Amino acid sequence: MSAASSPVAAATPHLPWWVLLRVFWRSFFLQAAGNYERMQNVGFAYALLPALRRLHPDPDALKAAVQRHLGFFNSHPYLATAVMGAALRIEARIAAGQAAPQQVELLKRVAQGPLAAMGDSFFWSSLRPFAATWAIAGLISGVDWAPLGFLALHNLFHLGLRAYGLRGGWRHGDAVLMRLQQFNLPQLANRAHPLTGFFLGVVAALLADQTRASTVPLGDGIAPILTAALTLIFFLSIRRKMPTIGLLYGAVGAIGGYVLILNALFPLW
Amino acid sequence: MTDLAAQLGLLAVLGGLFGLDWRAAFQLMLSQPVVAVPALGLVFGHFEQAAWLGAVLQLLWMSAVLFGASTPPNETVGALTAAGIALLYGRLGPVDERTLALAVLIAVPLSLVGRRLDQAVDRANLALAKRADAAAQAGEWAVLERQPLIGLGRVFILHALLIGGGTAAGLLLVWLLHPALGPGLNRVLATTTIYLLPALGVAVTLSTLRRRVPIGLALAGYVGLLLALTSLHGPGA
Repeated sequence: MSAASSPVAAATPHLPWWVLLRVFWRSFFLQAAGNYERMQNVGFAYALLPALRRLHPDPDALKAAVQRHLGFFNSHPYLATAVMGAALRIEARIAAGQAAPQQVELLKRVAQGPLAAMGDSFFWSSLRPFAATWAIAGLISGVDWAPLGFLALHNLFHLGLRAYGLRGGWRHGDAVLMRLQQFNLPQLANRAHPLTGFFLGVVAALLADQTRASTVPLGDGIAPILTAALTLIFFLSIRRKMPTIGLLYGAVGAIGGYVLILNALFPLW
Repeated sequence: MTDLAAQLGLLAVLGGLFGLDWRAAFQLMLSQPVVAVPALGLVFGHFEQAAWLGAVLQLLWMSAVLFGASTPPNETVGALTAAGIALLYGRLGPVDERTLALAVLIAVPLSLVGRRLDQAVDRANLALAKRADAAAQAGEWAVLERQPLIGLGRVFILHALLIGGGTAAGLLLVWLLHPALGPGLNRVLATTTIYLLPALGVAVTLSTLRRRVPIGLALAGYVGLLLALTSLHGPGA
C-alpha cells in the first residue's frame, strides 16, 4: 500500500479532470444496484469505469481491472470516493507496471470499514440529527426556508468531503485516508451532540407552546408538564427497546379507551 | 375527481424521485421528512400543516439510520404517504388535527412495508451483480453500465407505487372515517396530533443522543424557552 502513496512517476497514465468529474458524478449511484452478497460492488465498478477505460487501453487489462472492482465493497456512500480516488491511483501504477493488482484489493479491504465507521458516526449519528433539529426548530417557529438551511448545512460537508476524497485519493493515493483522519470527524461529531440536545429542547418547548392554540386545551400551565411527562414515559419505553410504532398505537388505544369510557359514563363530556 | 387523480399521479412521481434519494442515489437528504413534506406542501397547498407534519415526522424517524448493511423502516415512504393523505384530503375536507392524526396512523405502518421492499430490491439486485460479472468478462461495457440504471428504475417504481397506492387507499379510508367520527374519537385524534405525536417524536430523537450532557442541555433548552415564552404570553393554555 505504501507504494501507492508515493508521487506519480512520469510513466504512469494521467487522468484529465473531466474523467474524474465523470467518476464523481457516477459516485452518486454507488448504491443503485446494492445487493446483499457484494453490497456496493456494481456501483463501485460503474463509477470507476470511465477512468479505468482511460488507464487500461488494452482490452484484456481493462477486463481484469473491472473484475477487480466487482468484488465485495461496502463503505459509507459519501466517503467511498476517497477509496475510489486511491484505487484509481493504484490502477494507474498497475497500468505502468509499478504495482501489483493485489494492492488495489488490499486498499479496498483495509479502507472500507474505517471509512464506513467514520461516515456513519459523523453524518448519520451527528450531522443529520443536528441539522434536522435546527431546521425543525426553525420550521415550527415560522422560518419557512429552514429546510433549505438543513440541506445547505448537510450538503456542505457531504459534497465537500465527497469531492475532497476523490481528488485527494487520486493525488495522494492511500495517504488520503490519513488526511481524512486529520479532519477529526469523530471529535466534530462529539461536539455536535450537545447542540443537538439544546435544539431538541427548544423544539420540545415550541411544540408544547403550540398547544395554547389547540382544540384540546388543558388548563393553565398543565400542557408543558403533560408533554414533558409523556416524553419521559416514551423515552424510558424506547430505552427498554419498545418499538416506536407499538408505542404510538398503544398510546392512541389507551387514550381512546379512556375517552370512550368517559363518554359512556358522562355523555356530555 | 380527475383533478384528484392527476394530483395522485404527480405525488407518485414525486414519491419515486424522493425514494431514489433515500438510499439508491445522491442521498442529498431531499427525502428527509423535514424537507420532502414541506416541499409537498408547496406543491399541493396547506404549507403550514405540511411544515408541522414534516417537523414531527422527522423527529419520529430520527433513529431510522442507514448504518452499514442495515435496512431501517423506510421513512420516505411513511412520511410522503402521510403527507399525501393529509394534503390531498384538503380537496375533500378540512386538513385539521383529526386529518393529520388519521394520516399518520394510516401511513406509519407503510414505512415497515417500505423496509420489506428495500430488502426485496437488495435480493433482486443480486441478479444485476451477476449480470455485471458476465458483462465484465465479455467486455460488454454498455451492459455493465445499464445495471445501476435498472436498479434505480426498480427503486423509483416501487416507491411510486407504494406512495401513490398507499395515499389512494389512505384517502379513501379518511374520506369514509371522517364523517363517522363521534365527538369522543375526534377528541382522541386531536389529542394524538397535539400531544402524542410531538412527545413521541421528541422522545425518539432524545433516545438517539445517548449521552448525559446533550440530554441535560435538551432539558435546559426546554425549561428555559418555556419560561421565556410563559413570561411573554402568560401561563396560557
